[in-house]
Amino acid sequence: MGLEQYKGDMEMCCRCSACKFIPMQRVKGNQYAYACPSISRYNFHAYSGGGRLNIGAAMLKDGMKYTDKLLDIVYNCQLCGACGVSCNYAMDMEVLEPISEFRIKCVEDGKTNPALDKVIANLRKQGSMVIGARGKRGAWAAGLNIKDATKEKVDVLYHVGCLTSYDKNMQKMAKATVKILQKAGINFGIAGDAETCCGGRAYQMGYTKDFLNQAKKNMAMIKKSGAKTVVTSCADGYQAFKVLYDRFNLKGDLKVLHISEYIDKLIRDGKLKPRKKVDMAVTYHDPCRLGRLGEPWVHWEGKKIPGDRFVFDPPKPYRRGTNGVYEPPRDVLKSIPGVKLTEMTRIKEYSWCCGAGGGVNDSNPEFAKWTAQDRIEEAISTGAEALVTACPWCEKNFTEAIKDSGSNLKVYDIVELVEKAI
Amino acid sequence: MALSKEVYKEFECVVGEENICDDPAIMPAYYNNKFAAVILPGNTAEVQAVVKLCNKHKLVFRPICTGWSGMFPPDIILLDLRRMNHIIEINEKNMYAVVEPYVISSQLQAELFKRGLNFCIKGAGTNCTAMLRGHGHMDQTTSGDDRNHLAIEWITPEGDIVRSGALGSSDEWFCGDGPGPSIRSILTSAVPPGVTPGVFTKAAVKLYHWPGPSAYPIEGVSPNYALSEIPPNMMARYYSFPSVEKMWQAELAIGESEISFELMGFNISMVAANITTSNEEEEETFNRLSKEVIGPGFFVIIAGNSAADFAYKKKVLEKIVSEADGKSLKAAEDPRIEGILMCQCTRISASIRETFRNGGAFNSIPIMGQRDLTIKWAIGAGKAKEPLIEKGYIVDDGGAFFGWGVEQGHLGKTEIFCKFDPQNAEAKAAVEAWQKQENLRAFKERYFASTMGPQDEIGPALCNYNQWWSKLVKALDPNGVSPEGGALV
Repeated sequence: MGLEQYKGDMEMCCRCSACKFIPMQRVKGNQYAYACPSISRYNFHAYSGGGRLNIGAAMLKDGMKYTDKLLDIVYNCQLCGACGVSCNYAMDMEVLEPISEFRIKCVEDGKTNPALDKVIANLRKQGSMVIGARGKRGAWAAGLNIKDATKEKVDVLYHVGCLTSYDKNMQKMAKATVKILQKAGINFGIAGDAETCCGGRAYQMGYTKDFLNQAKKNMAMIKKSGAKTVVTSCADGYQAFKVLYDRFNLKGDLKVLHISEYIDKLIRDGKLKPRKKVDMAVTYHDPCRLGRLGEPWVHWEGKKIPGDRFVFDPPKPYRRGTNGVYEPPRDVLKSIPGVKLTEMTRIKEYSWCCGAGGGVNDSNPEFAKWTAQDRIEEAISTGAEALVTACPWCEKNFTEAIKDSGSNLKVYDIVELVEKAI
Repeated sequence: MALSKEVYKEFECVVGEENICDDPAIMPAYYNNKFAAVILPGNTAEVQAVVKLCNKHKLVFRPICTGWSGMFPPDIILLDLRRMNHIIEINEKNMYAVVEPYVISSQLQAELFKRGLNFCIKGAGTNCTAMLRGHGHMDQTTSGDDRNHLAIEWITPEGDIVRSGALGSSDEWFCGDGPGPSIRSILTSAVPPGVTPGVFTKAAVKLYHWPGPSAYPIEGVSPNYALSEIPPNMMARYYSFPSVEKMWQAELAIGESEISFELMGFNISMVAANITTSNEEEEETFNRLSKEVIGPGFFVIIAGNSAADFAYKKKVLEKIVSEADGKSLKAAEDPRIEGILMCQCTRISASIRETFRNGGAFNSIPIMGQRDLTIKWAIGAGKAKEPLIEKGYIVDDGGAFFGWGVEQGHLGKTEIFCKFDPQNAEAKAAVEAWQKQENLRAFKERYFASTMGPQDEIGPALCNYNQWWSKLVKALDPNGVSPEGGALV
C-alpha cells in the first residue's frame, strides 16, 4: 500500500501551519515557539509537515516528479514527529507516517541520498550505522565481567547499540550502564560481537528492507538466547525494538525497556539507591524516539466510513505522542541527590529534536548542528550547567555543536549521572 | 509561466539564493498551482524591492502568511512572509504592540499575558498572524476589526512605502489616523470585492487589560491538556435558553452590564468540538450534550480584577441568566471541562477542531451587524442546512449557527458553518449552492449584504461601492500586479 494508504490523511491537511509550531496552548512566548527544525531552517512551506503532505497528495495524484529540490526537501527532515503531535492536537489524521512513506518511496525508486547510501552500505557490510567503525563490536566490554547472552542464560539482554559500541567517546555510556545493572544485581548479558544494528535508523532513512533484515536477525538472536527482556540505552534502538518490530509483527512477547525506564523501576523496587550527591543544575532533553515516537504501536485495520467525516470502522486510534516515555527519566534525575532539574520551554511530546534524526547528521551535518544549536541555546536559557539526554545520537550531536559554538554547557547521558550517584 | 533566468536573477539579488525558488516540487505545498516563483522576503526593504521588480516586469504577486486561506491564481509571484516574524515592540505604557506578518497570535498573546495585557485574536485561530483583521471570541473586551489596527506600514502595489497615522509623521505607532495620513478606508482586508492590494509589512495592534494569569497552569500531554486549577477570579460557563429571544435578551443584558470578559455564542456542536480529542468522541459528545441543552446558548467567561469584582460579576451573571430562564450546562461546570474551554477560548487554540477536523473543510457565511437581525437570518440559513445534513453531505451540527456581541453592545458577529469532505464533489457543490442561496436571501430579504454575495446586485444598492473600489484599486495598482492583497490573512 505504501503512500497510497495515507491518501485521505494527506488530503485532510488544511495548511493551517499548526505543524510548524509547538501545540498552541503550550506556546509560552515569542521564543521557542517552533516545533519543526526543517521549516525553521529552510522556510519554504514545502519543508513543513503540512507542506510535505500537500506534496505527497499532489504526487500521488499526478505521479512522482523528482527534482533535486524535492530530494532536498525529503532528506532534510529528521522525521522527529513534532509536526504530527502539533497537528494531532486538533486533527484526526496521520502526519509522520505519510512523510516517512514518501521517503521510503524515494528510496524504492532509487532516488537516494549519497551520504545515506554510504551508511547503508556500511550496515550491509558490517552490521553497524557507524561509518569507519573499527575493531570488534563487543571490544568495549573487555574485562567488565559481563555475561555473553548468546552462550549463557540471562534475564535481561542489554542491547548496546551501534554508536555506543563503536564510538570511543560513547562507550562510557555502556560501561556506566553495566555498572548500574551489576550494582542492582541484575542477571543480564550482552551479545557482544554477535550484536547487530537494530535497524531503526535504516528505517528512518527510508531503507525498509535493510531495517527488516536487521530486525529479523536481532529477533532470531534474542529468541535463541531465551531472554525475555531487552534493555536499550539508545532511543533509536528503543523505538526500533518496541515500536517498529511490533509494527511489523516481529516483536512477539519481548519486553522492551529503555535504560531510563529500567533504572526508574529498579529505584522504585529498592534494588538501586542513588545515594551520592551530584551537585549539578541540569535540564533534560527528551529524545524524539524515546518520547513522542516511543509510544507503543497500535495495530489497527479498518475502512473509512463513507460520508461527511474522516472516521473509520472500527474507530482509528491515532498515536499522538501521548504515551511516550516522559516521566521515568525525570523521576530518575529527581532521585539523584543534588541534581536540580529545570525544564526547558519545549519538553516531552513537543520537545525540539537534537538534529540527528532521519539520518540528517550523515546527510546534512550542518543542518544537524544548526538544529542542535537551537536546543543548546534553549538549555542555556534555563540556567542549567548540563544538558542531560537519554540517547547517544543526541549526546554526540549536542557535543559536536557545543564544540563548534564554544559554549561551556556540558552534556551527559542519564546513565552517567546515575553512575556518579551509586 | 516560468521566469526568465535574467528576471529570476534580479529577484535573487534582492532576497538571496536561499530565499527564492521556482522548482515545481515546492508548489503543491502552497497550492495546486504552478507559480512563477515563491519568494521569501526578510524585511520591508526586500518586500519593496520585490514589488518594484514585479511592476517592472508586470508580474502579478500575492503575499501570504501562515496560509490556510485563499485561492491562488497560477503563474503569480507568491510572497511567503515567513521570515518576517519579529515582535518589533510591546509598548505597555501606550498599550500597543508592533508586529511583522509572521508573528502568530499565540506568540504575541503569550508575551502579552506576562505583562497583564491581551489583544484581539481572530476566530481563525491563534495559529494565524497577529496582524489579521477581523473578529474573535474575546470581542466583548478586545473589540474587533479596524478598531484594533493603529499605525500600519504598507507597501503599495507600485512599491511605495506608506506609513499611516502617527507613524507617518513620527516614529510612533500609537494612532492609525493621525497626525500623519489616515488611509484607514483603504487599509482593510475585508472590503469586497477584494482585499487591499499591496503588502502589509508591519502593524501596531491595540492592547487591552488582561485580568487572568501570566500563563495558564496547563497539565497533561497532548491532546489531553487541562488546567491544574481554575485561575482565581475567573469562571467559564455555557448557558442554554428556551428560545432565541430569551438568549438574545440575556446576551444584551450581559453586554449592558459589562460583566463578561468573553461571550461566545457557541452552538453545542462547537462546544463538543472544543472539549473532545477525536471525531468519534466529538459526535458522541454532541449527541449527549444536545439532549441536555434546552435551546440555543452561549459560552461566557467572567474575569474579576479582584475577588469582590468577580463576586459582583458572578452575581449579576446568575441573575441575568435566571431572568432569561437559562440553564447552565452541567458538563461545563466540571472544572476539567471548564478549564479546557476557558483556556482554549482565550488562547483561541481549538479553531481547527471546530472547523477542519470533521471532514477537512468548511464553508461559512460570516456577517457583522445588528445581532438580533442577523440571528433571524441565521435561523433560516440553519433550516436550509437540514436537507444537506439528511443527505449526509455535511456534518450534523443541529443546523446551528453561532456568533457573539462586540464591545458589550448590540452589534456583533453571526456566522454559520457547513463542515464537509472536500473530496466529495456532490457535497462540495451542495454546500456552495447553499452558500450562494443564503447570501442571496440575506440580501433580498434585507438582512445584510454579504461580502460573498453577488456584487453586481449588492453594489447598486450600496452606492455602487464595488465600482468605487475597483477605481481605487486601479489607481493604486496601474500595472495590475496586485489584484488581491491578503498579507493579513
